[in-house]
Amino acid sequence: MKTKIAIFIAALMFFAPFSFAEEAAMTENDTFVVYLDKGARENHYIPSGHMGDYGDIKMNDQSLDNPHSGSSCIQFVYSAKASQGNSWAGVYWLFPANNWGAKKGGFDLTGMTKLTFWARGQKGGEVIQKFGVGGVGIDKDVPYPDSTVVESQPIELTDAWKQYTINLAGEDLSYINGGFFWTTSADLNPEGATFYLDDIQFEADPEIKPEEKKSQAMPFYVYSDRGAISNHFIPSGWMPATGSRDIKYNQSHKENPYLGDTCIQLSYYDNSGTRWAGIYWQHPANNWGIQDAGFDLSAAKKLTFWARGDKGAERIEEFKVGGIMGESSDSDSTSIGPVMLNKEWTQYTIDLAGKDMSYIIGGFAWATNVDVNPEGVTFYLDEIKYE
Amino acid sequence: MKSGHTKHKKHKKTHSSKKINLIAFLIILPIAIAAIIIQSRPRVYIKKYKDSRYQLFVRNRPYIIKGVCYNPVPIGGNHEYDVFSDPEKPWISDGKLMKEMGINTVRFYQVSDNTEGVKEVIRDLYRLYGIRSILGDWLCFWEYPCPRYGDEDFQEQVRQRVLSRVNLYKDEEGVLFWVLGNENNYSFSGQVNPWTSTEIEEESEPAKQIYLRAKTYYSFVNQLAREIKEIDPEHPVALGNGELLWLDVANEVCPDIDLVACIIYRGKSFGNLFQSLKRNFDRPLVLTEFGADSYNAYKKEEDQDMQTYFLELQWQQIQKNLYGNKEGEGNCLGGTIFEWTDEWWKHNEYLQDTWSIHDTDAGWSNGSYYFDIRAKNNMNMNEEWFGIVGLSEELEDGINKRIPRKSYYALSEFLKNPKKKLKTKLQKPK
Repeated sequence: MKTKIAIFIAALMFFAPFSFAEEAAMTENDTFVVYLDKGARENHYIPSGHMGDYGDIKMNDQSLDNPHSGSSCIQFVYSAKASQGNSWAGVYWLFPANNWGAKKGGFDLTGMTKLTFWARGQKGGEVIQKFGVGGVGIDKDVPYPDSTVVESQPIELTDAWKQYTINLAGEDLSYINGGFFWTTSADLNPEGATFYLDDIQFEADPEIKPEEKKSQAMPFYVYSDRGAISNHFIPSGWMPATGSRDIKYNQSHKENPYLGDTCIQLSYYDNSGTRWAGIYWQHPANNWGIQDAGFDLSAAKKLTFWARGDKGAERIEEFKVGGIMGESSDSDSTSIGPVMLNKEWTQYTIDLAGKDMSYIIGGFAWATNVDVNPEGVTFYLDEIKYE
Repeated sequence: MKSGHTKHKKHKKTHSSKKINLIAFLIILPIAIAAIIIQSRPRVYIKKYKDSRYQLFVRNRPYIIKGVCYNPVPIGGNHEYDVFSDPEKPWISDGKLMKEMGINTVRFYQVSDNTEGVKEVIRDLYRLYGIRSILGDWLCFWEYPCPRYGDEDFQEQVRQRVLSRVNLYKDEEGVLFWVLGNENNYSFSGQVNPWTSTEIEEESEPAKQIYLRAKTYYSFVNQLAREIKEIDPEHPVALGNGELLWLDVANEVCPDIDLVACIIYRGKSFGNLFQSLKRNFDRPLVLTEFGADSYNAYKKEEDQDMQTYFLELQWQQIQKNLYGNKEGEGNCLGGTIFEWTDEWWKHNEYLQDTWSIHDTDAGWSNGSYYFDIRAKNNMNMNEEWFGIVGLSEELEDGINKRIPRKSYYALSEFLKNPKKKLKTKLQKPK
């Protein structure tokens, strides 16, 4: 018996320092710092996960150029050159460096209710597609995926420091390996963007309440112009898996847009032999119902869009809203089609009367096939919006 | 005095007797009327309540359809297999397993020309296990070169076949209802089994062509339903449909359809299915084909947890939308899972060598079944792995040995005690 007690005490002594240290980091503090200054002892995570066109990103994490506080801030220069051909880029703060979920490195941030950070653009007007927390390995087959992901809406920076907050109240923060991230794209910043970040930290603010999902105000744009901050949903759901071989997508087509500076040009040709293809506009990108991120579009009575064919008589089998079914599913779906396009811009309407639009991940979609377009098809879309 | 007393007594007795007679009459009358009404009700009928809630009755008792699609093709067989002519009588051991699971209904997509065999199967399942049969008809959907639903001769051919079969089996106690068509509506777009007519050809706009196909087909099905009811008023007639597509057109031309029998593959949730049907075609719904496969095409291994996860969630929603469950729509009558046993022939149906191989290649893609959607080319639906009962090459009682999967046991618990199971928090497959 004594031996057992001795083993128990020894085990307690062995494990205790680790667990106590972790507790101290997690709960006794009301802040958990990602970045204060270069080399600050309080810093956690490493901005090592460069994504997309990583060649387009230059980072200086000890910039002396007018930090918000302390001695330094982080400068990012995004060139938008699409060095790797993606037209987007971003950076994840990970721990340990470059850990995409293969190793156990995340922190238990239970108790934190928000993440705050300061940001400014060099000129003002730089658009960051999203800032966020978590999400590492969440839909991947990795041993240590993050317990949640929370993302901001697109943010247009000003040339003066401004504090931003990501509400984390009610989120499962029990394992966060991706402490912070940002992504943006060439469409949102055709000339590139230089911006600065400082004082990034989690905070335990007892006053903050979980964000209630509110009905979006109308009109609610899917696409108005290239890079418009009012755009929602990302045309990321290329269908089927071979879609990228069959579809060409250009959301910056400048010739004869219906309104504004640009429209979307789409070309389909059955290179893969799959015989059909289409694109879903999703929120966020590539969300096939894995992430709980639907917009409440209950106020929408219809979705309208303008379309034209390159030659006229192009046949699109279906234009659709909603219909994504996954761990989180769209609340409804409806469609029109087949539609024979005109050579001139024509407005089409998807009637939403009586539809449950309270939760929409798949904001818009189209699909067609080789049987009705044996020679392929080129068509244009513009001004896609919920009203 | 005595006599007067006696007279009074007699009068009193007579009065009392009349009173008793009146009371008895008043008691018996409603019972008699009820008995007449009950007797006059069809053997199987659907009752409609307020707010378009529906309940199925069989022999005047509420009946929830807890069913499976039944086409027990043995290893090495193919679509030509005819269970009704199988000398090994697999339904005897299958029915026993089904009953133990809590299954009360099987769905046959199509009955064969072996009339006595069909009757034997229906009778055995009902008499031995209390399992009733839903009898379907493809309506010649797979007719070569195409099902010409706009052609009067073709309609007559289908009509004669359907009505003769109804005549043959309508008096079988085990018959639950008739299903006309399956997913024939997918032909409206011209992509599957395309058919046309002069009227359709004269229309240049594709969307209107589809509308005309839908109207032609549904009108024909409604005519069939009307004629079935003339010869068999004892059973409801269902319209078989893939998803809810074009049921708004059926709503215009199908007053004689009693219920909708839908094929739905939406993953873990049926979404707005029940509300949407109520809005577009207000009829009760039986999910006559739904389910999940048990092979993870991404991990390339059998994944019974994945199948169980989807099936339990699907059954929970069926349960929630039955009559009497206030939080649901009350327009669901139950469902038949696709399917009872795996079918090893399906992936390469024209390669006989593969009918004896349990093929692990997926045949189609469906993002709603998201656990393995990252398989190559997103192909994640393994057509040969939909059974809640697996097959072994080993024979037992002359048939491939049945190996119930996890889903069989999980659903067994659920079907026997659905309210308790609804509260259970499901574990997601890893």
